[in-house]
Amino acid sequence: MKLNFFSKKNDVSLESEAGYEKRHHAVSRPKETWKETHTGISFSMIAYISWKNLKVGKARSILTIGGVALGIGIITFLLSIGFGMQQMIVSEVTKNNPIDVIDINNGNLDNFVSLTDDVVNKVKNIDGVKKVERRVNTGGKIILGESQTDVIIYGTTSDYLDMLRVNYRDNGGSFSNDGETALISDRLANLLGFSNPYDAIGKKIVYNIALSKEVSSSLDAEKVTDNNEIIISGIVNNSDNTYIYLPTKMLQDKFGIDSAQDGKVVVADMAKFDNVKQQLEQMGFVTSSIAELIAGINSFFSTVRVFLVVFGVIIMSISAMGMLNTLSVSLLQRTKEIGIMKALGTKRYDVFKMFILESIIISFVGGLLGFFGGYGLALLANKVLIILGKRMGTELSYFVYVPTGFVLAIGGFVLFLGIITGVMPAFRAAKIHALEALRYE
Amino acid sequence: MDEIKNKIEAGGERIAKMNEAPTQSDESKSDAGFFPEFEHHSNTDIVVGIKDVEKTFVLGTNKVDILKGINVDIKRGEFVMLMGPSGCGKSTLLHIIYGLEAPTNGTILVEDEDIWAHSKNWRAYFRNQFIGFIPQQAFWIKSLSVIENVAVPGFIGGRGYRESIERAYKTLEIVGMKDWAHYRPFDLSGGQQQKVSFARSLLLNPKFIIADEPTGNLDQKSGVQLMDLIKEFNESLNITVLMVTHNPDQVNYASRIVKMVDGKIMDDIIDKEQINAMKHEA
Ligand SMILES: Nc1ncnc2c1ncn2[C@@H]1O[C@H](COP(=O)(O)OP(=O)(O)OP(=O)(O)O)[C@@H](O)[C@H]1O
Ligand SMILES: [Mg+2]
Repeated sequence: MKLNFFSKKNDVSLESEAGYEKRHHAVSRPKETWKETHTGISFSMIAYISWKNLKVGKARSILTIGGVALGIGIITFLLSIGFGMQQMIVSEVTKNNPIDVIDINNGNLDNFVSLTDDVVNKVKNIDGVKKVERRVNTGGKIILGESQTDVIIYGTTSDYLDMLRVNYRDNGGSFSNDGETALISDRLANLLGFSNPYDAIGKKIVYNIALSKEVSSSLDAEKVTDNNEIIISGIVNNSDNTYIYLPTKMLQDKFGIDSAQDGKVVVADMAKFDNVKQQLEQMGFVTSSIAELIAGINSFFSTVRVFLVVFGVIIMSISAMGMLNTLSVSLLQRTKEIGIMKALGTKRYDVFKMFILESIIISFVGGLLGFFGGYGLALLANKVLIILGKRMGTELSYFVYVPTGFVLAIGGFVLFLGIITGVMPAFRAAKIHALEALRYE
Repeated sequence: MDEIKNKIEAGGERIAKMNEAPTQSDESKSDAGFFPEFEHHSNTDIVVGIKDVEKTFVLGTNKVDILKGINVDIKRGEFVMLMGPSGCGKSTLLHIIYGLEAPTNGTILVEDEDIWAHSKNWRAYFRNQFIGFIPQQAFWIKSLSVIENVAVPGFIGGRGYRESIERAYKTLEIVGMKDWAHYRPFDLSGGQQQKVSFARSLLLNPKFIIADEPTGNLDQKSGVQLMDLIKEFNESLNITVLMVTHNPDQVNYASRIVKMVDGKIMDDIIDKEQINAMKHEA
């Protein structure tokens, strides 16, 4: 407090006999060197006093903070479930379908195209294509002893099966592109009389295969080739159909099958994804890819979120009104106290800060409680779903999810709310005159 | 938050206890040691110079002249009592000196500094650092305890919690109110509240103390106690006091009586015998 401003000479006071009102507008106001020293109330003390004030009006503070917490809580609850479901569905979808694969098939009757070797080579030459695998299907019949079953016969490669995420290896199965191997669906194994499908591995079966011009270009008419033998080399689980996978090469060598209906095109460069797809369509293929599905899922959830945000804005405006009301009442009740602070030397700006801070404390504490409350409730709901799911035989996991961006958005919004609702009362508080405190009733 | 608060308070108490330690207990008349910063920056002996001060209130279309040219120089160490009938403008004059109400004309010099030639913030700081104010009716911040209220000028001046509380504890001790430090201020009696007010006015070592009828709401005994206390400080620390009072029994506390009537100075008495005579006149 070593201030010597009192010893400073003041020219203005000597210069004029005119009224102060006039002089206050004069340009030559004395330089106020101590201004750097007048730091005003420290931030921690402002925070302390604001906090004390909130504690004095406990019931009101709790109600107001509760209002904010409720709003933020509802929004967090709904959005964390929404985000979580979106994430779960997307991950579920991509689990069985790589994102860089375009499925093609010749389902378009107007512009029929088969995946012959020539066509496959053409596809491979499209810029951005890494590789192409294909799958042919035709009808057939499996015979084992007394049992006979109609099946779909697929001819394909191990790469295609991998892309389809068909898992036969873990169950002790194998599939060779060049050998004579066969994977059958577990359903088919059941129908052939194996209650445990794995018992079928190593068994020799007899199959008929229906051939047509569609799959074998050298054929003129349809025909059925009977009594072919093969040994089962693996099982495909969780099937709801009866089918058998055979190697493409074997089918070609034995039956002259040289074409296919379905293919999977792997894109090397995702930037060329759309371009590759377009060219495939121009060749006459019907294409589909998981990217589209994911885009669809995301756009659905975006729409849902827009509604949630609108809903949230409505809730939050109600909370904001509650805050504004609390702060206004608090201002009215504390007119005299603010006068006291002013009389004892508080700067306007410090009073302003005190009220703004009070408002920010309300919105922040409310936001914090609301966020964790909403998130906790969402987890609880998730837990209940998991328990219910277990009872009904489905395996569910925790999916509730809050992206970091959302947390930051909530934080930013809460700060904004505090400032916007605090500005008006704070401004009015700052304008209260010190004499308000000294007027005796 | 509560935890922090308790910690802070515990800290304040610890410091206070340290100060109570036997080595320092001979504080009886060592008040000056507590005011090491009490320095005078000016060699003039006039603490407050009131020069041709006029105040006109405008009420609607009416102009009411409340102060009509006041000239008083208050010297260091003086105990000035401002007396006069109700409505003559005593409080208005105090508010002008305190920097809350602008004079219509004239100058207030505090140690040669024209306080009304500065900005609002300047005067806020000036009030905070250089003037102790005791009002007629004690005013408090409800949410704070007695000791925290006494510490408020410290907070306002930018000091930390501990330091302010430590000082507040000392001043409370000096006015004999330390046992009430953690009460709510409005739970105290009027006399106790005014003692705490006085403690608060002393917190930052003011250059002078302004008191507007500090005993106005007190019973006889509390009034005497407070006056004795103020007088003691006036004499031992040479703190200048400017006080408004209606009570002629209190004139013998003063070293100077300024009588105001209708916005003008009627009498300015320094002579001790004359002052004592006034008491008997009443
Ligand atoms: N802000 C104001 N606007 C208009 N008139 C005012 C204002 N403040 C004070 N007055 C008037 O100025 C006059 C003097 O008031 P002041 O409070 O200074 O008197 P006082 O001498 O302190 O009286 P008391 O002994 O009753 O306290 C009164 O008539 C009062 O009504
Ligand atoms: Mg008065």
